[in-house]
Amino acid sequence: MTTGGSTHSDAAIRFGLEIMRPEMDAPTLLTVVKRPEDRPRGQAILQEAARRFGEASPPVNLKVRVGNPAEEIVAEAAQGDYELVVVGERETHGFVTRMLGSTAVYVVEHAPCSVIIAKGKIGPVQRILLCDSGALQPDVLTRFTLRVAERISGQETVTVLHVMSQITAASGVNDEQLRADAGQLIEVHAPEGEFLERDLTVLASPQIQTRAKVRHGTVIDEILDEAREGDYHLVVVGAHRDEGWQRWLLEDITRKVITLVDRPVLVVR
Amino acid sequence: MIEDPSSLPTESVDSLSSGDPVVASPDADPGFIRSLRRVRWDKVGLFIVSLFLFILAINLMKEGARALAPLVRDVFDVNSPANALGFGWLFAYLVMSGSPVAASALAFFSAGVINQIETFAMITGSRFGASFIVLFIGFIYVLRGRDRSQGLSMGLLSLLVTFSTYTVALIIGVFALQSGVLDWFQPSSGALLASIFDLVFDPIIALLLSFLPRWSLFVVGLGIILVSFNLFDRCLPEMSIKESQVGRVSRMVYRPWVMFLLGSGVTMISMSVSVSLSILVPLSNRGFVRRENVIPYIMGANITTFVDTLLAAILLNNPAAFTVVLVEMLAVALVSAVILIGFYGNYQRWMLSFVNWIVTSNRNLAFFMFTIFAIPIILLLI
Repeated sequence: MTTGGSTHSDAAIRFGLEIMRPEMDAPTLLTVVKRPEDRPRGQAILQEAARRFGEASPPVNLKVRVGNPAEEIVAEAAQGDYELVVVGERETHGFVTRMLGSTAVYVVEHAPCSVIIAKGKIGPVQRILLCDSGALQPDVLTRFTLRVAERISGQETVTVLHVMSQITAASGVNDEQLRADAGQLIEVHAPEGEFLERDLTVLASPQIQTRAKVRHGTVIDEILDEAREGDYHLVVVGAHRDEGWQRWLLEDITRKVITLVDRPVLVVR
Repeated sequence: MIEDPSSLPTESVDSLSSGDPVVASPDADPGFIRSLRRVRWDKVGLFIVSLFLFILAINLMKEGARALAPLVRDVFDVNSPANALGFGWLFAYLVMSGSPVAASALAFFSAGVINQIETFAMITGSRFGASFIVLFIGFIYVLRGRDRSQGLSMGLLSLLVTFSTYTVALIIGVFALQSGVLDWFQPSSGALLASIFDLVFDPIIALLLSFLPRWSLFVVGLGIILVSFNLFDRCLPEMSIKESQVGRVSRMVYRPWVMFLLGSGVTMISMSVSVSLSILVPLSNRGFVRRENVIPYIMGANITTFVDTLLAAILLNNPAAFTVVLVEMLAVALVSAVILIGFYGNYQRWMLSFVNWIVTSNRNLAFFMFTIFAIPIILLLI
């Protein structure tokens, strides 16, 4: 968990407190300062954050690194072999940051593990929106979501969302599936129905309620609308493919979700 | 259908090496021979014929255009850029294609019937009219009982993207032509090429003039250019990109510039936006394509579709005509680039919202169809 002491980076600590359980391994609280002489200030920030975990949580490790925050978080994630990084993020950004990318975006794009971007309203995680394109990372996304959901106490609802933004490329094409909902796609064993059904099977658990949903429209707009309308507490997306030709040719939907969505996002790698 | 030589059994090549004099030569390269055998010579022949007809048609239209000046100026009353825009637009509806109309505009310009700005406007009008074709095909399907929203989406998107980009490009282009900013960029003199063409085509034109009135050469040329485009479509290679990784367009959302370049590249070869759009169908086995991918593809296609018009300008040996086409291409490219870089997300939303509004009800659709017929008529009449 990373914090810089500011209000937005404090979101990472608040989100960490929501998902922290006594049986977990000791988490690491990390802060990054620009100069070596700032180390005492970094220590003070961490001490303050650690006090909030109290005695119910496992003991926390405190670390101060010196340098560029984005690069140092990624370096720590790689060296510490962490399973999950939690970073805080502003709810909205200016044009320049949106174009160039924030610290959270850099961490998501370079960290070797999954990342939670804590932003917006932080509270108990009860409703989770899992966005599955079906084209990337079969199973990884769903299984990781299951692990996260299982570690959260209480009953969660996971909605598996797929957005069909397709239209017919020509007038004569049979387009019935372009108007179908999730149930119909599953029933006719359409490609989208197949992976939605697979996701529901993987997520099946006594403490998780699942449902599949298909929306029609452009991918990013529909994800943002669903996140808002469903008032989800966590949005889960897969990481953008960062290898080979796909890195350059495919649209980075993940980056857009991180930048535009107004609530916590889990990027699964 | 000629059998694909690459599928021939190996022994046929072996048998050639024992008896065929070409392969028996010690210098003969078996790879080169295989390449030669793969060439579809029938399509090459068809291409040469279509190119010959294209050049003949341009020369005929140029010859007949001057005699049509009274018809264009007095009967159709094309005396301003707005008139020329409406004229090109309606002309494209009539011939169901944009390229012959764009070539006609250049022929009229070369004959001094219309000026440079009017030519530019008429070419823009030809694209407006041509973009209606995809919609028209969809409309036929709707009349046959298909769902409005799905049957017309592609055609409407094509039309709206063309309208929105070309309208802004029209303004930019007029300023560019008036300022002469691109006048310095001209193809090297085509005098030698022109003299060769004169040598070949003058006797044909003289023969036709011996029994046809001069103005009819334009009509004959227009007919021949339509035939030449038809033949050209037939000699295109099979451009159905298979379900390879790149071809899985329906499943993935590509970056806009990727689809922009793909649309440009495909249309550079096909020279027709409607053909390029139809090539999208086999990209996925279900014939679906993502909304996000279509708009930049159309934008790219809308630029390189002028390749044949650029060729026509060169064949007319008219540097000013070449500038008109070049300005059209650059203006559309500039507008597309600004949209893609600056506000593509919003632009995409506006286009899709407008499409949704049109297909929401029969009344909206009827209003839209009425509008795209009424506007060019009004433009021609003002």
